Amino acid sequence: MTETALWLDGNAMAGLLEETFGAEMTAVVRRCQSCGQPHAIGKHRLYRGAGEVLRCPNCGDVALRISVLPDRNVVEVRGIWRVAVPRD
Amino acid sequence: MPISRGFRGRRAEVDPTRVPPGQYVVRDFPVLSAGPTPHTPLDEWSFTISGAVDEPVSWTWEELLALPTESITVDIHCVTKWSKLDTTWKGVSVDTLLEGVDTEGDYVTAWSDGDYTTNIPLEDLTGGQAWVAHTYGDEPLEPEHGGPARLLVPHLYFWKSAKWVRGLELMVEDQPGFWEAAGYHNYGDPWKEQRYWSD
Amino acid sequence: MPRAPIRWRTVAVSEVVDETPEAKTLVLDVPGWPGHAAGQHVDIRLTAEDGYQAERSYSIASAPEDAQLALTIERIDDGEVSPYLAGEVRAGDEFEIRGPIGGHFTWRVSDGGPLLLVAGGSGLVPLMAMLRHRADQRSDVEARLLLSARGLDDVFYRDELARLENVAIHYTLTRRRPEGWTGYARRVDVEMLTEVGPAASEHPLAFVCGPTAFVEQVADGLVALGHPPDRIHTERFGPTGG
Repeated sequence: MTETALWLDGNAMAGLLEETFGAEMTAVVRRCQSCGQPHAIGKHRLYRGAGEVLRCPNCGDVALRISVLPDRNVVEVRGIWRVAVPRD
Repeated sequence: MPISRGFRGRRAEVDPTRVPPGQYVVRDFPVLSAGPTPHTPLDEWSFTISGAVDEPVSWTWEELLALPTESITVDIHCVTKWSKLDTTWKGVSVDTLLEGVDTEGDYVTAWSDGDYTTNIPLEDLTGGQAWVAHTYGDEPLEPEHGGPARLLVPHLYFWKSAKWVRGLELMVEDQPGFWEAAGYHNYGDPWKEQRYWSD
Repeated sequence: MPRAPIRWRTVAVSEVVDETPEAKTLVLDVPGWPGHAAGQHVDIRLTAEDGYQAERSYSIASAPEDAQLALTIERIDDGEVSPYLAGEVRAGDEFEIRGPIGGHFTWRVSDGGPLLLVAGGSGLVPLMAMLRHRADQRSDVEARLLLSARGLDDVFYRDELARLENVAIHYTLTRRRPEGWTGYARRVDVEMLTEVGPAASEHPLAFVCGPTAFVEQVADGLVALGHPPDRIHTERFGPTGG
């Protein structure tokens, strides 16, 4: 198995993100806290370990971690995320 | 929750007393990872015991392979609910690595290439409970499964068996590792089903 | 973009259609389905009698205009979920889905073109939803499909593809070719992409879907040909999808 096969792009997390944040998140742009580059969440790299880890596609630093527990999702968010949430 | 008629997944039939609560036995060896597979060249690789010790100790790859090696057969249990029975490994016992190491620390942070860490009480790594494993089956441990070497602590959930391990840091204070800080249980005993913070 | 809250909902299989020896389309009854955009997917969750659960994602094959939701699933040897969905499942069976999901890999006629769709194997599914949507809307947006498959008998929707109007369809068959085949017979490369077109100067919208390595290679090839990355949309089917 090649290394590129170990990750999916952030779009694969779209369902969990929407369930967690209540909005479509894959188009949200995040500026990385480590390398400063902006990338859409959908273009970040999703790894699946015990929980889900989303990493900056440029430097690999952690952008987001979500652990799905029986009664809640534990979420850690890093970097600067610019989100526009429409009001109904 | 609707039952999907006829769905079983890839699970094998096994002796239930060998299966911790909530686990399912699989025949393959799933690959899960919190990050990309590191590829440290073996001539740059080292394993270090450091932290709350009188003197840090380090081994190169050749030096590690020259240490007494044990062959072990163990069951492994992943917090994502798969278990794999009778896995065979070769590695160096952590007892061997800690010989002669004086420490005041009761805790260990195992750290790996990449940013992965996990914390384990020192007493869970000694007394024949843990190894730095370099061989799986009869083959060198593959990178996707943690090669060249991973920590192997089979009595705890497998996230504690840090892939691509490069060292053990002895700690006076327990420091939650990568998953322990993100919702997973600090200790992780599969037989008590200690998966998450709330368990 | 529909903003109905997404949550797990129980669905029943209304019909199972054989596509190829390894793939089936499941037509689903989804009461209250909020609608979707072509290219989106759903998460499926199966529960065994003892409570064991497995989840996977599958692209929606049906156009937004269709009355019923359809998913096409290819059976992967030794897979966890696909041998069940593309083997055991029959009409009346139930499971849960969550969706529609995915804002990034969608196409509506109003997004325009020209459209370049590149599929590796089962990556054809979401692109077929786009082509079905385009046909239902009687759109004349220029469209090309480049489909990589092991052999012609692995291609889903073959008859329907043959009947689609004003779509240029190119096949590349990487393992088995029929007698007298004059089409492409290799992995997608820059030369093939150049021949299939359109050129970067026409500013096409490209959608690439398939196994991760395939998508990487095609996307790199398109960038090398001068297509701007923001006009290239990718959906990778990961190795654990099975």
